[in-house]
Amino acid sequence: MKRVQLEIVLGTILVLLSAAIVIILGAREPQRLADYEVQQRAELIEFGASVFVTNCTRCHGTQAQGITGVAPSLRDENFFTRRLAEVGWQGSLEDYIVSVVTTGRQISTRPELYAGGGIPAMPTWSEKFGGPLRDDQIRAVAAFIMNFEPYALGQVATLEPLLPPVDESTPEGRGQAVFVQAGCAACHTISGISTGNIGPVLDGLASRAGDRVSGLTAEEYIRQSILDPSAYVVEGFADGIMPQTFGDTLTDEQINDLVAFLLTLQ
Amino acid sequence: MLNVLRRRLNIPPRDQWRATIAKIIDDRVRIITAGLSIRELRAVMRGDPPTEKPNPRYKVITTSFIAHLRPRYYPQAATWFTHTYRLGFFTTFLFIVEVITGVILMVYYIPFPDQAYESIKAIESNVFFGELLRDLHRLGAEGMVIFSWLHLLRTYFTGSYKGPRTFTWLTGVILLLITAWLSFTGYLLPWDQLAYWAVTVGTSITESGPVVGPALNLLMRGAPDIGTGGLLRFYLQHVILFPLLAILFISIHYYKVSREHSISLPALVEETQRTPDQKKEDNRRIDLIPDLLSHEVFLVSLGIFIMLAILFFRGFASPLETHANPQQTPLDTKAPWYFWWLQGLLKIDPAAIIENLVNPVFETFGLGFRLELSKLLNSKFIMGLIVPPALVLTLMAIPYIDRNPSRLARKRPFAIMWGVAWVFIVIALSFMGTPQFGIETPPATRIIQDLAPEEGEGALRAIPYEELQQGIYVVGEDYGPDLCPTLAYQPDPEGDVNNVVVGCPNLTAVFREFSEKLFAAEADGLLPDLNASLIVEQFQFNLARVTPHVEWTDPETGDAKTYEHTYFLHQDRPREE
Ligand code: HEC
Ligand code: HEC
Ligand code: HEM
Repeated sequence: MKRVQLEIVLGTILVLLSAAIVIILGAREPQRLADYEVQQRAELIEFGASVFVTNCTRCHGTQAQGITGVAPSLRDENFFTRRLAEVGWQGSLEDYIVSVVTTGRQISTRPELYAGGGIPAMPTWSEKFGGPLRDDQIRAVAAFIMNFEPYALGQVATLEPLLPPVDESTPEGRGQAVFVQAGCAACHTISGISTGNIGPVLDGLASRAGDRVSGLTAEEYIRQSILDPSAYVVEGFADGIMPQTFGDTLTDEQINDLVAFLLTLQ
Repeated sequence: MLNVLRRRLNIPPRDQWRATIAKIIDDRVRIITAGLSIRELRAVMRGDPPTEKPNPRYKVITTSFIAHLRPRYYPQAATWFTHTYRLGFFTTFLFIVEVITGVILMVYYIPFPDQAYESIKAIESNVFFGELLRDLHRLGAEGMVIFSWLHLLRTYFTGSYKGPRTFTWLTGVILLLITAWLSFTGYLLPWDQLAYWAVTVGTSITESGPVVGPALNLLMRGAPDIGTGGLLRFYLQHVILFPLLAILFISIHYYKVSREHSISLPALVEETQRTPDQKKEDNRRIDLIPDLLSHEVFLVSLGIFIMLAILFFRGFASPLETHANPQQTPLDTKAPWYFWWLQGLLKIDPAAIIENLVNPVFETFGLGFRLELSKLLNSKFIMGLIVPPALVLTLMAIPYIDRNPSRLARKRPFAIMWGVAWVFIVIALSFMGTPQFGIETPPATRIIQDLAPEEGEGALRAIPYEELQQGIYVVGEDYGPDLCPTLAYQPDPEGDVNNVVVGCPNLTAVFREFSEKLFAAEADGLLPDLNASLIVEQFQFNLARVTPHVEWTDPETGDAKTYEHTYFLHQDRPREE
């Protein structure tokens, strides 16, 4: 065979092999695209979770469960089934979230329940309007919130965060669970348990609580701080930030447990 | 009547129809091929000699526009594989691959910071063959950089830049710069952390320049920080300006090589005594049509096949990190690997080196004088703005510096030594430029970063979702051989159902590694009073939160320190096998 012919033959074989690769890849392509779609959504949710944790927990709670008096739950059935009709939103829920988060909310639609930060109730988040978040971060956080849907509709169970493992048999253990569930964690830092930074750090609370107000023991002071936060306002913090409503929303037993737990913070 | 019509329309008599049609077709074919008849084409494919005289195959080269860049023939010795290794050819091939894939990518890519990153994601998840195109484009780009460097080395070592080819060498150096700038501008376009910070660091070099430095930086970035304007500038350079320049200079380069000087003969042929038979064979004409052309068609199919095979067997994947974030500087800013040598260069501080050499001398002679060069010489300015252009100028000047007329390796030992030395210098500088070299991160941060790098996967993120059993795993506590003895799962429920993993080997391994590294750092006195844990929580029904947490006492200040990092891991996240 002459060199020209040899090269033409070899070239043809290589072209056929290349075509075979392209065909195999092409056959796999629809599956790959579908997989990628799922994976990218997963990564978006992960990213959205981190955006949520750094920006939103102080009002909406550590896990979007809401904080009484401050901001609504973003993972309850009401939010996923009735909320759109309530506000008269025509589009999808995900778009609603993107829109609300982008612009913020000047005045709460339910000021008696969720006053947020007053005015604005929720600040603007989008960079476009002077907020801190980029559009893709907002879409990610919306994807994260939407990922609560199966849970909100009761289709799956989510475990509460187990930080740290709670011993349900003791009042202190139960109190710690209440601390997380009632949203205290969103505002207060206790090492190893929570990272909220709206209110004072509660580490070592038990050792200073007795000296706060003359005439009140540590236990009495802590109870008062929960039931009537305005009675004594810690220096450096504004009055009225800590919700006044825990007396109504928590049972007596929960409050007792909470106090027992806070008393362990030497 | 009919006959009149026939004459009017120029229709030949019936018995000449065949011949006439054949002639009409043949004429058309000659126009398309710029001179080859059908019979000639057949002869070309068979490798037969020309069928007409004068040789119509040479006519192609004078008639056809595109073939103007091609030679009529090369002497046989110039086509030796071991002379050129076809490196220049493959560089051209890769450039064409870049143009084709790039034009298709342009259809989907949006050059605005809000949308650029998502458009790349969409190319990967929403465009048929989108990932393939992107990978081809990226592989081609890196390949083009490699091949142009190798091609430069080849022309250097064969001494082909000498004599009449000095200008060819000059256009070559310009092409090298164009190639580098094309890849650098393209690097920014995905708008991920990798892109953003590599380009931010890269462009910041100009800032240190005197007088015009800040203005130059502004001109490149479009604003003090790279944003909408900067991305658009890079995009336009990448898709219009520099491809056009590349086409222009490749054409000139090609014209010089193929029409003006031909490829150089190997020095062995030119400068040693050859027998008459060898001489005859050396100078035998290898015609473009069919020999060179068929060879190039073969090389193109080989190139395409190799690229596809690399991608098919997953030997290469285009990186895509998280969205660019101007507020968050990554721990490791990486330039593209082919610029590591520059990064290495930037880590050298010439002023300090000179001071360290000179000042001890001053001291031994008891002179009350110290040289303080660092105050005068900004090392970033010297190593970033003076040295690289000087290197480029030197590269351009090589044909004029090297006056040695011989091209035989053994007659130009200095040139060869220099070449080899430079290869090693560039490798050494690249090594210095790698992120690991010379940058220190606090141990706790580094240890966590090793488990779960900011970008890329790392061992922690690779833990299968099923193994992420809730718990606070305290470093130093004994959990037995496995952290989750009560756990069992099927890694592949749709495939092999008998494949069951008991416990959580991956989580356990990560926890072990975390513990061991911390203990090692504690033993080194870096993390006294160590208190650490790995916390795994369920955050949503398909989303886990993993938090490595480290507390210690700062050995220098005695302060209590804490470092932790939170990772969210979704069930469906891509996990590399
Ligand atoms: C300053 C406290 C505050 C912060 C921080 C905050 N929000 Fe809000 N958010 C509110 C309040 C108050 C409302 C209004 C409730 C209403 O109008 O009834 C609200 C409403 C919403 C709503 C609409 C809920 C509904 O039922 O209409 C969404 C979605 C939302 N927030 C998401 C977020 C996200 C995401 C973040 C973090 C980027 C965030 N919020 C941060 C206070 C806050
Ligand atoms: C919206 C944020 C917020 C929430 C939610 C919140 N707090 Fe507070 N908390 C504050 C602020 C602000 C202060 C300081 C001002 C004050 O004393 O009223 C405070 C003060 C306290 C103090 C007094 C601390 C000291 O050092 O004297 C205690 C105790 C306390 N909170 C416990 C709780 C408990 C228990 C919960 C949950 C039931 C809770 N907080 C929920 C914001 C919050
Ligand atoms: C985009 C980059 C480049 C392209 C596409 C390119 C293309 C080519 C081609 C096709 C040839 C014919 C011989 C061969 O295949 O080796 C060639 C020859 C040559 N190139 Fe390049 N080249 C490029 C960059 C460079 C560089 C960086 C240099 C050196 C600085 C250079 C210097 C030369 C010289 C001196 C020749 C003549 C070689 C000889 O006659 O033996 N080229 N180039």
